Amino acid sequence: MEIVKQENGSFSVLKLKGRFDAHEAEPVNTWLQAQVEKQCVNIIVNLEGVNFVDSTALSTLVRGYKKCRENNGTLRLCSLQQPVRVIFELTRLDKAFDIFETEEEASVAI
Amino acid sequence: MRIAIITTHPPSKGSLNEYAFHFVRFLKTKVEDVKEIILLLDELPSGESYSFSQEPDEVPIRCIPCWKFGAIDNVFRITKAVKEVIPDIVLFNIQFASFADKKIPATLGLMTPWVLKRSGFNVAVLIHNIMETVDLKSAGFGSNSLVVGIIRLAGNIVTRFILSADLVAVTIPKYVEILERKYGANNVLLAPHGSFEEPTDTQPSPMPGGQPTIMTFGKFGTYKTVDLLLQAHEYLQKNHPGLRLVIAGTDSPNAAGYLKKMQEKFSYITNVEFTGYVAEEDVARIFGEAWVVAFPYTSTTGSSGVLHQAGGYGKAVVLPKLGDLAELVLEEGYDGEFFEPTDWKSLADAIARVIDDPDRQMEIGLRNYTAANGLPITEVVDWYLIHFQELLKRK
Repeated sequence: MEIVKQENGSFSVLKLKGRFDAHEAEPVNTWLQAQVEKQCVNIIVNLEGVNFVDSTALSTLVRGYKKCRENNGTLRLCSLQQPVRVIFELTRLDKAFDIFETEEEASVAI
Repeated sequence: MRIAIITTHPPSKGSLNEYAFHFVRFLKTKVEDVKEIILLLDELPSGESYSFSQEPDEVPIRCIPCWKFGAIDNVFRITKAVKEVIPDIVLFNIQFASFADKKIPATLGLMTPWVLKRSGFNVAVLIHNIMETVDLKSAGFGSNSLVVGIIRLAGNIVTRFILSADLVAVTIPKYVEILERKYGANNVLLAPHGSFEEPTDTQPSPMPGGQPTIMTFGKFGTYKTVDLLLQAHEYLQKNHPGLRLVIAGTDSPNAAGYLKKMQEKFSYITNVEFTGYVAEEDVARIFGEAWVVAFPYTSTTGSSGVLHQAGGYGKAVVLPKLGDLAELVLEEGYDGEFFEPTDWKSLADAIARVIDDPDRQMEIGLRNYTAANGLPITEVVDWYLIHFQELLKRK
């Protein structure tokens, strides 16, 4: 999986591409933790290039979401492909996360 | 938030006790989100009592034994207890026979989520099986087709009662699909079962050394049976001198006396150990000594906690070719050798393919270890908390 990290003033963006699963979750988890430690707790995860997520990947995002929220920040998702959106709907995590169509919309909301 | 959980919990031997043990073990660490855990438990036999270790930095736990397996009035007992504690969320950890092994008390008990919802509480149900996928005859419910038909009808009604909860969690994607399609439900969610053990730096060995040991673990006598396994063990001993068979666990509440009967019937087979109830502190040793964990099931009633445990200990498994288990294996990244569920020779062959092939034993064990540690139950608990927070926010 390709990971692109951007810091954009008031928020950070993580762009992922490929399969986001148990084997790929650790670097994302590490980055999210580091952001929280730096108090960069407004985060957008752009999943435009992600075609598969498993339960470990979802848990990584849940953990990041919880940490951001505990620090008065937010973790938003954007640009979900249809198979990924289905997984979010199946787990009803689409109700918990703020999900946006585009990165721009997600950033405006912060 | 304050959470009341209706469940069994060790030392109660009721089904799902172990799942509850691990769920609560991690829930009590979530001090940022949870203010109090109130366990509404089944009453224990005289002389036994519940005890919970409590650290100062953990969520306080209150334990209220208030219902009884088989009692016809569990719905009233539980409702009364919930009304006294007034939690923010009521969570049920149940399967279709959680409250009784008789049809009427079982059905009445399963109406409790509906009654509590009607009473104004926020209700979530983790249901580990659904009626549509249970082989009722094999599971000990119903001796003829007419009875099974009536139970199915009752099951449909009970399922609607359960679906009246705010949230209904299931552990298999297919269950979400069935409940949405058949019942038009829009409050069902998939929540992974999760692994009971925390990942360790030291990976357990699928090949523990010592005498080759087949182990099976559970509550036996309905859809988990041991006769075919004993026959397979007898057959395998011809080519595997010293092979042990450990049958770990107790009778199913629906099949009192089953294991004693099996022990007597197959008393001529050597190197068989019936452990009886396995206390929590002995679980690691029992799994640790196993070369292969066998699942001699004739049907399944949902996701298998034992499979997750076996994976947590890095064990190779032999599994029946049955719907739910096979699906779980594929979807959650587990592996195993498969056998025909009614054929002891097929079971023996599957076991032999593991214990005679160290590479395959290692391969399955490591794969299962990876799968089981993919999502520890502490993470699953976070999913529930997020859903609960969302529910409370909506209200």
